[in-house]
Amino acid sequence: MNAKSGPPPIEVRGLRKVFRQATTGQSVVAIDRLDLTIAPREVVAIVGQTGCGKSTFFDLMIGLEAPSEGTLRIGDKSPHADFDFFRGRIATVFQQDRLLPWRSALDNAKLPLELIGLPEEEQRQRALTWLTKLGLANFINAYPHELSGGMRQRVAIARAFAVQPDIMLADEAFGHLDEVTAAELRDTFLKLARESGSTAILITHQLEEAIAVGDRIVVFGKSAKLLADIHVAQWPKERYGVLREAIQATLQGNAPDPRLG
Amino acid sequence: MSQEYREPVPSFAFPRQTLVSLLVFAVVWETLSHLSPYLGIPPFAIPSLVTIAKSIATITPIDVAVTLARVIGALAASFVLGVSLAMAMYRSEAFDQYLHPMIRILMAVPVVSWILFAVLWFPGVEFRIGFVLVVVCGPVFLVDSLDAMRGVPRELRHMMQSFRPTTLQYFLKLILPAIVPSIFTSWKVNISLAIRVVTIAELVGAVTGIGHQLSVAQELFSVADVFAWTVVLVALLFLLEALVARVEARLLRWRT
Repeated sequence: MNAKSGPPPIEVRGLRKVFRQATTGQSVVAIDRLDLTIAPREVVAIVGQTGCGKSTFFDLMIGLEAPSEGTLRIGDKSPHADFDFFRGRIATVFQQDRLLPWRSALDNAKLPLELIGLPEEEQRQRALTWLTKLGLANFINAYPHELSGGMRQRVAIARAFAVQPDIMLADEAFGHLDEVTAAELRDTFLKLARESGSTAILITHQLEEAIAVGDRIVVFGKSAKLLADIHVAQWPKERYGVLREAIQATLQGNAPDPRLG
Repeated sequence: MSQEYREPVPSFAFPRQTLVSLLVFAVVWETLSHLSPYLGIPPFAIPSLVTIAKSIATITPIDVAVTLARVIGALAASFVLGVSLAMAMYRSEAFDQYLHPMIRILMAVPVVSWILFAVLWFPGVEFRIGFVLVVVCGPVFLVDSLDAMRGVPRELRHMMQSFRPTTLQYFLKLILPAIVPSIFTSWKVNISLAIRVVTIAELVGAVTGIGHQLSVAQELFSVADVFAWTVVLVALLFLLEALVARVEARLLRWRT
């Protein structure tokens, strides 16, 4: 199960995640019986309002949280129960770059390769290749504080792609950058995801970004209720404005807009 | 006209203000030394600078080396013990809850009490001194390291966990490098603490070391010798601190 043989499908069935608030002791339903299937190599954008359960879904995908009920399976394995199995198979790009400040750009990009135990020379070569693809060949020895925000995020993307993961997760990865840098990085990310054959799941609150990137747009309502599952290819480009408005209306009304069919 | 670029040369010169204040102190001391008979102070109480210089010339390097070895050995043992226990407490909440009250109690016990306990419990002088130093310096390493481990930003911990490290990798690649700045601070604090504690510990039963020599000087009513050994202690402290600062600058160059 790797990028060469093709990533496995992702199957979510009756997924429920309930948290107990430490202060009040009350239960909060973050995700309520979500069903979702993501095909191999699909690029899926998940949109939803703040607090709708996107980040919880992200943590469940990473495997850092266990489902309260239901299943989330990648192929025949669970990212939580089979945590170690997915080492090097799932990679993440976060909203902030989250680079280790004491490591150079090269050493940051090498980090996940060290964790999967590749030989030192291969780690270096692979990290170098990905940093070069992201236009950072001249900055491999720079420390994070010596790089701009956009460059740091490029290192973070190189770090994630360097392991050649089956599943690439991005959580608001371009939201904090200026518009031009964000658009540029988004295009690079999409190109690299397509080239590497990974399944990519992007969580975003920016509808333009979701439409520009996603093969599919999954719209979450409250408690990750699946409000809409849109195949972007079915929408001609000249109707993207309508699509955007329909998603906006869906989010605001917490119910599917009729224009989405 | 081209200007040659020169690498900045680190300056080891004393600042002018330091020199002035040291000079003023020396002048006041020397004046008091000469005036002491007229002020009703016994002559041995404030020896002249020449007498002190003569005492410094008689300093026995073996005693300096012994004290230095005790300090470095005990600090190394305290560091390993403190950081290891901090890692265990970071990993296990239950272990932390049991051990934390004990650490607080250990830290509240005065150094003099530890020395008395050591004299009563252990026959070996070296073990006594080592015990006192470790029991005083170890908790400082432990508490500082544990605080620093808990202070590693949640975002970095989350990022690291998302790549699924083993427990050992998690510590080696994230937690330990992240706490290095705090560890250096602990070293600086503990060097100062150890230099002061080792002197007191050596006063009791030791037949070598600076503390022992201070005890001998006190029995001989030789203020000049006390002054000379104190100067050596202060110099030793500055030397160790400079050494740690140099290693710190090298290891933490990513911060500059």
